[in-house]
Amino acid sequence: MAKPAKKLVIITEKILLKKIAQIIEESGASGYTVLETGGKGSRNVRSSGQPSVSDTKANVKFEVLTPDRDLAEKIADQIGMQFFLDFAGMIYLCDAEVLYGQSFCGPEGC
Amino acid sequence: MDFFSNFFMDFVKQLQSPTLSFLIGGMALAALGSQLEIPEAICKIIIFMLLAKIGLTGGMAIRNSNLTEMVLPVVFAALLGILIVFIARYTLGRMPRVKTVDAIATGGLFGAVSGSTMAAALTLLEEQKIQFEAWAGALYPFMDIPALVTAIVIANIYLNRQQLKEMAYAEPLSKVAVTAGDDSRTRRAYPGRSTRAVLPRVKIWPIVQESLQGPALSAMLLGLALGVFARPESVYQNFYDPLFRGLLSILMLVMGMEAWSRVGELRKVAQWYVVYSVVAPFVHGLIAFGLGLFAHYTTGFSLGGVVVLAVIAASSSDISGPPTLRAGIPSANPSAYIGASTAIGTPVAIGLCIPFFLGLAQTFGAN
Repeated sequence: MAKPAKKLVIITEKILLKKIAQIIEESGASGYTVLETGGKGSRNVRSSGQPSVSDTKANVKFEVLTPDRDLAEKIADQIGMQFFLDFAGMIYLCDAEVLYGQSFCGPEGC
Repeated sequence: MDFFSNFFMDFVKQLQSPTLSFLIGGMALAALGSQLEIPEAICKIIIFMLLAKIGLTGGMAIRNSNLTEMVLPVVFAALLGILIVFIARYTLGRMPRVKTVDAIATGGLFGAVSGSTMAAALTLLEEQKIQFEAWAGALYPFMDIPALVTAIVIANIYLNRQQLKEMAYAEPLSKVAVTAGDDSRTRRAYPGRSTRAVLPRVKIWPIVQESLQGPALSAMLLGLALGVFARPESVYQNFYDPLFRGLLSILMLVMGMEAWSRVGELRKVAQWYVVYSVVAPFVHGLIAFGLGLFAHYTTGFSLGGVVVLAVIAASSSDISGPPTLRAGIPSANPSAYIGASTAIGTPVAIGLCIPFFLGLAQTFGAN
């Protein structure tokens, strides 16, 4: 059986990687996935394709599964308030259904 | 007149050197819209190799040299790092359409040292057979760290003061340069932000720690330590030393491409950044050259060493500086300071300042 969950997606500057990972861990979420990405937004094209001698321009995308909306919003609020005036970033929330994942569903399965 | 003709001849000769020609080649490629890409991982390993080699050279030199000779240049390097930030704060920062925090961050980046510029200068000195102390490369951290710390500290003091003023006016979120973007929008989106208390006091040690942990400085300090305490001669002679110039030429190509691609970003900020990033490397370098000459006449600091001091003062950080500043002064606009440094400051430092200070040193040496 699928267990309903929320998928919180955070796309932001790579320089914030450690700080955001720490917020997510401290919030009590069971885990997260990070991808390196690039793209275009209101702060213009960032990362990808350009030769680069420093890491300030690379983006990362976090995906966090949370059991409910409250936890997801708590994480999003902390990150938004702390960083998103000064750093590029966006956060959105999706519905998800977890099919497999022991740490998320517990030992008896989803 | 003799100086100028000498300088001009030198200058043309140096444009043909591998270091500078690859830099210019990189700019040309980027200008022509070439699809050439050097993978980032390769750049990282090159930066490691170059700085490890500089560190090893310095470390092995320190092992058999008199450390008291280093004192005066080290003190000058640190003073210059701090001074450069204040110069930016009170010149660039006073210009119209330039935000003070952006100016301080730019000063921090120009005060900090570029490992690649220094590597280029050391190579040219070797090619021209100008003597310099092998530990001269070890001056790097002594200028780099004070500059970044000073920039972050005075930017935060400035921001705190702005915030106090703002609170005194009882009208929160008035037109203060601190917040970026549309005020009403940000207020709605982040309710906690407008009532935020005064920023916490800046702690100096985390900034120092972060710069030491940066890729460039850690590679160099590792090399330095190995040079002093271990016997890395064989790996140095067979690997680091012979590969140094070839790798440097690749890095120069990348920096040229990067410089060209950042010019567009700079166009979006005030023109004063362009003026600053052309003039500042020369001003900083000349101050350093003067101080270096003082050390030359009092403690016998070599003229080659004076050139190294002048070039690292003229250079602006492009590897480890930007992330440190971005984290330390988040409200400063990175397009302004990284654009000024990478697009103009670094090419000016490598292409114009290195030949200029070499020529100057040769003129002094001839007398």
